[in-house]
Amino acid sequence: MTAHYQLDDDGVVVIIGSGAGGGTLANELAQKGIDVVLLEAGPHLTADDFVNDEWGGYEMLSWLDKRTSSGNWRVAKDHPTAPSWSCKVVGGTTVHWSACCYRLIEDEMRARTVYGDVPGASLIDWPITLADLEPYYDKAEAKMGVTRTHGLPALPPNNNFKVMYAGAKALGYDSVSTGRHAINSVPYDGRPATIEDGFTITGDKVGSRWSTLNVEIPRGLATGKLELRAECCAVQIEHDAAGKASAVVYVDAGGMTRRQKARAVVLAGNCVESSRLLLYSTSALFPNGLANGWGHVGRHYLRHIIQTVWSIFDKPVNMHRGEIMIGMLDEFAHHDPSRGFAGGYYVELNSMGLPTTAAFLDPGWWGRDFASVMEQYANMAGIFMSGEDMPQPDNRITLTDDVDTYGVPVANIHYDEHDNDLKMRSHGYKTLSGIHKAAGAKRSIEAPAYPASHNLGSNRMSARAEDGVLDGHGRAHEVANLFVCDGSQFATGGACNPTLTIVALAIRQADFIAKEMAGGAL
Amino acid sequence: MAIAHKDPKLPPPEPIPEGPEWIEELGPFASVGETLAVLARTLCPHDSLPERCYRRVVRAQDRIAAETQALGVTVRDFCALLDSRMPLPFAELSESYRVNILKTLENEPAFIFLQRSTVRFLYDDVEVWEAFGYEGASVHLGGYIHRGFDDLDWLPNPPSGD
Repeated sequence: MTAHYQLDDDGVVVIIGSGAGGGTLANELAQKGIDVVLLEAGPHLTADDFVNDEWGGYEMLSWLDKRTSSGNWRVAKDHPTAPSWSCKVVGGTTVHWSACCYRLIEDEMRARTVYGDVPGASLIDWPITLADLEPYYDKAEAKMGVTRTHGLPALPPNNNFKVMYAGAKALGYDSVSTGRHAINSVPYDGRPATIEDGFTITGDKVGSRWSTLNVEIPRGLATGKLELRAECCAVQIEHDAAGKASAVVYVDAGGMTRRQKARAVVLAGNCVESSRLLLYSTSALFPNGLANGWGHVGRHYLRHIIQTVWSIFDKPVNMHRGEIMIGMLDEFAHHDPSRGFAGGYYVELNSMGLPTTAAFLDPGWWGRDFASVMEQYANMAGIFMSGEDMPQPDNRITLTDDVDTYGVPVANIHYDEHDNDLKMRSHGYKTLSGIHKAAGAKRSIEAPAYPASHNLGSNRMSARAEDGVLDGHGRAHEVANLFVCDGSQFATGGACNPTLTIVALAIRQADFIAKEMAGGAL
Repeated sequence: MAIAHKDPKLPPPEPIPEGPEWIEELGPFASVGETLAVLARTLCPHDSLPERCYRRVVRAQDRIAAETQALGVTVRDFCALLDSRMPLPFAELSESYRVNILKTLENEPAFIFLQRSTVRFLYDDVEVWEAFGYEGASVHLGGYIHRGFDDLDWLPNPPSGD
């Protein structure tokens, strides 16, 4: 019972992007009996297609279409045409992610009130509260099978975690644990337990990790209400005379341009693509792009304070064995002005194989010293942080004069680091290196951020229309049937890995869309 | 020395000739193959690695250049520049002279391409994985759950559940 909708069927909800937000929303709506067309720019791969190979997986899954970058962030120098890292495949970046599942904390959702006026930062409070989200976090954790929630056991410590644990305990960071992940420690929901293969990020051949590819989309398709169109790249959103979204123009696998009519349109293509689509969808009514009357589309772009410290020990670690990011401590997660900066960060685990360790250790580094570090790969451990960066109006996605194969302008990402960001980076490096030193590290290397994978904020929600793009349900302030369902809707970034929050917001948005439809408002 | 595995779905590594004829298999870089192999070893000097590891890097770089004509020209010009800096060709210089020349050229587009691609391909080589202790693909072997994912024994074990 496969759904098939006509292009001129204006009763369907069209969702652009099948990742954590779009894939989850598609299933949630289909379960409620709502007709959904899910457009995905990338191919529909299966577990059998995936490879246990870092570069092979990267090239198979990543969004590699050209982008440009500017600003003083190191990414613009190291990865100038690939500043942001997401996936172009059915399942989106949930096919790649390492499955950390942490909740926002209450202070983070009132960032402007709690942090105060941070000069140069465009902080706002979220238009919703943690209490609004909590029931949806519960549902998200249940559907994703998050360890240490709903009675699910923790993931077992691996070698890399043993190093983090020893260092953290020696310094009195007693919150250290293997953390919470949407990776099965025991069989759950028809999916097997992990075999600790270490290749979650190249597609997860085993299927022990939740993704929209292996959970949400198949279940949505089984309802007969969801039609998935893979290799269909949205290029523009159209509206009717009344200013309501009416259709999505896309290019299909055969290169044909199609126009799918819509009752409502949801953008869930990750920050860069969702903002790019809105900016490119100009008209007489929306001369600066759809839903961009206040000029916030593309602005306040966030990518988190993400960095890794790699340390060398006297004895083998073999960090590549086992799940990648199973370690967390939250001693620094809460806002604490005595540290000299606003916001907090989580300390987490990180491991990479030899190919990507070499590539991301310090891009551009060469010579005897670099080589001697690489030769000690087997004795290397990795520790990571994800922290809150400050929103700034000029950190933004814009359209360039260059165009892609579909004639759509290539996006530029501009990002300058705020002083607050730099203070947190320095503090974080000291914490990460300190933990490894306490476990016996003989040398630590402060690796810079790699291409941004936590892309947030560029179509943010706000209580007042003049402060953002969306309301508290992710609906455009200016277009009543246009929604955003990816990380770009975040009002501020918080510190933790964003996927759990994206999924919780998607479930909440599905409830809202269904209610509006039932009430005749949509 | 580890035993490393390439994913069985991917093509196995191609052999490369041990003799000087490896150069003859190159396309746009046939005239500069030896210089590029010495350059790769200068950028990532591992005394334990045999010459074939660096030759495979050059072969991979050559294949990229075969698809981008301008890149071939840029790199060949760069090699000519390297050879012009001292009374001996770059490939015949001792290491410190090679390093000093390269330090003056780090912002050249050809250098950036060659440095990044050397790192990209050298450390994606199964022979190099084995030399430095990376074991590679694992799902086809049952993962690492029974092959040492938690065998570190020089620190105390965390309590179970942590």
